[in-house]
Amino acid sequence: MQVKVVIGTIAFMLTMIILGFAALREPARLEEFTLAYEGRSIENGARLFQNNCATCHGVNGKAEECYDSAGNVVGCKGLPLNTASLLCGDKPSRMVTLGWEGTKGNFVQNTIAAGRVGTVMPTWSAQFGGPMRDDQVGDVAAFVLNWESDAMCGVEAVVFEWPDSVDDFLADYAGDAANGEGLFLTYACSGCHGDLGTAGSNAVGPWLGEIAVIGGDRIAGTSAAQYVYESILHPNDFIAPDCPNGPCLSPSAMPPNFAERMSANPQDLADILSLLLGE
Amino acid sequence: MTTFFDQVKEMGLKQAAIAKVDEAAERITAGMNVGDIRSALRGDEPRRPNPRLRPHADSFWFHIRPSFYHTEVTHIYPTFRLGWLSTFMFVWETITGIILMVFYTPSPSAAYSNMWNILSNVPLGQLFRNMHRIGAEVMVLVVALHMLRTFITGSYKKPRQFTWATGMILLVLTLLLSFSGYLLPWDQLAYWALTVFLSGAEAAPAPAAVNSNILLILQGAPSLGAGGLLRWYLFHVLLMPLILGIFFFVHYYKVVLHGFSLPPGREEIGEDTAKRVPRTERTYFMPDIFTSELMWTAVTTLLLVAGALWFWDAPLEHHADPIVTPLHVVAPWYLSWSQGWLKLADKTLVVGFIPLLMVSFIVMPYFEVGKSRRYADRRLGLSVAFLFMAVMFISNWMGSPEYRVEGSPEMEVIQEILPGEGAGTMLAVPYEYLTPGTYSPGQEIPGNPYLTRALEEYQAAMGRHSCTLQGNPELDKCKSEGTGRYSNNSRNTAMLDPISTLTIEEIQPNLSTLTLRFEATGVDLDWTSWRHADSNYEEECRFVNKDC
Repeated sequence: MQVKVVIGTIAFMLTMIILGFAALREPARLEEFTLAYEGRSIENGARLFQNNCATCHGVNGKAEECYDSAGNVVGCKGLPLNTASLLCGDKPSRMVTLGWEGTKGNFVQNTIAAGRVGTVMPTWSAQFGGPMRDDQVGDVAAFVLNWESDAMCGVEAVVFEWPDSVDDFLADYAGDAANGEGLFLTYACSGCHGDLGTAGSNAVGPWLGEIAVIGGDRIAGTSAAQYVYESILHPNDFIAPDCPNGPCLSPSAMPPNFAERMSANPQDLADILSLLLGE
Repeated sequence: MTTFFDQVKEMGLKQAAIAKVDEAAERITAGMNVGDIRSALRGDEPRRPNPRLRPHADSFWFHIRPSFYHTEVTHIYPTFRLGWLSTFMFVWETITGIILMVFYTPSPSAAYSNMWNILSNVPLGQLFRNMHRIGAEVMVLVVALHMLRTFITGSYKKPRQFTWATGMILLVLTLLLSFSGYLLPWDQLAYWALTVFLSGAEAAPAPAAVNSNILLILQGAPSLGAGGLLRWYLFHVLLMPLILGIFFFVHYYKVVLHGFSLPPGREEIGEDTAKRVPRTERTYFMPDIFTSELMWTAVTTLLLVAGALWFWDAPLEHHADPIVTPLHVVAPWYLSWSQGWLKLADKTLVVGFIPLLMVSFIVMPYFEVGKSRRYADRRLGLSVAFLFMAVMFISNWMGSPEYRVEGSPEMEVIQEILPGEGAGTMLAVPYEYLTPGTYSPGQEIPGNPYLTRALEEYQAAMGRHSCTLQGNPELDKCKSEGTGRYSNNSRNTAMLDPISTLTIEEIQPNLSTLTLRFEATGVDLDWTSWRHADSNYEEECRFVNKDC
């Protein structure tokens, strides 16, 4: 019996030592699993993004490279997500534009869950009739936010002083309509405004195939070129009357951040103007 | 009635304190004072009247235990402590389970994140989850072995038939308890294991109206969802433990009533002398059996804690998804035999046969009435038992992935090295060794032993599932008779002339894609998995029960 007492006591003490050892290691282990949970959430989000979001926002989230289900290149309908204006800082410019007061994470998660009214962005959360569970919405948000990098956010944003008059602008930048065709896709213009050659192909915004002709009639005393130039840079200044589902919504569904996005390459705007106005 | 203060005045502080401690000890042990405990621990003869019998008379916990055992049944043989161990495991599962319940919500929207919360936010949470899970599997094993032992020593025979019958019910309840706990993490493993089980319930040999209602009762809705999870949770934490508790007490009452059966050779044939124990062959519960039980409690706890911490890890797959069925859904090992049977016969037949088998086990002692418990007199019975065990082992093997319905060859390669669920060889490579680039199977990467090893596994997997891959030692045989893919029914579906590559690409800070590309006759597939630097898949491969 004495042997049993000794064995039992030793076993009990060893158990306590092991538990003590486990307890000492615990803070580090909890940290490791917290990171692992976040990491796997990002992985799940990446899979969901590829299957659901890349069609409109592009495979790398820059809204530059979009494919339809058959694998053909199509114009991206979504906004770029892999961009400083959404990801950098605590209050990225897109949140400021939309007047969002919550956190960046909430903003992205909320947009995915509830969609964006007036645009083709649908609701994704099952709560609002979409196909995703809430944890999946969180996963996608985690993936989108993971594009933030020092390389992207460390660079000072270029701010281009856009001249008031389109003529002053075009005096410095000569447009190239052929290059504009590609840009019309990569800036995702075609996603809403459709194919310039086909009337009625526009899904959300006005069809722009004849804008060179009708643009001059929109605002008295404003040329077509000046009208298109201002509409791209400041979409809310004038709301067009001819969206596919009746008069366009106010505020405009057109992203108000092209002035910012094109700051680094003002030539892009010149090329698009050249394409639209046929000059 | 003297107060403590009076006693101090009378005997002095020290003596009064000793008397008080003595009195407290006697109250707690229901009859043994400090001196009695010390003399018991020293191994002295008890004084008269024997104070060590008083706990059996006066306390609740000891009154259900016999005050002495026949010395013959206190050795490892014939009981192997298996009945005691089963009880211990039940208590163990109850304690660890109650702790886990604190951190668990039985709802599909919360259950899975609760699991991660237990792993990443609850101190010792992973240890408790592992202890509960390893405990469940050990309990199944112990209870099954207990039944086997009872059969082999013939202890089910008259007058212990009813003890055997309750024991069989306890075995079934143990399996159901273990399996019902399977669903609760609400991951892919849980969801699909239960879906298979429920489809079995649906196939029960009964009118369709009965079947569909069985299914409705078991999952609370036409498909497995919130209602089903809540029901299985309640089965697991309330209904089944309650029923098991009731049958446990009946079982144990019968054990004490009839006494522990002696080793078969110790008795005359047809006699049962378990309750007639000569004074010279008694081992008293206090202190010998009690000490022994405390020792086994300490040792078993030590083994389970160490096992749960270092050697064995409860799995957690992706969130349950009714739309995505993982390749090769397997039953837990203790139900693998039923999956084996499903490959042999019609579902309805199998589902009908299992309860029939259980009932025949339960009533067996009432029909098998041979008087002798001795091994030499029970050649037929023991042969049947061993034959049954052999059948169960083979069935278990047939239920395992070794004997599965084979998927297409490229999917089998993926399953071996970059599976949809679990870590797998490729994901287990530490992130810093996943150098972006395109690699071919078997390629050697200088200075990168992890990726080199993964590519070796890649080549081996390709070799098993394709014919003309360079370096396949079975090339000629493969060309003439197909590959040696180990399924028995699809030998000739191996990929011919495959070109396969692994591409690693960093698509975000700390996030890479691993893409397996397969091109062969009739095969054109890209399979992508994502790997984050912090996901820590390598951790999962440190345990003996994980296959990476």
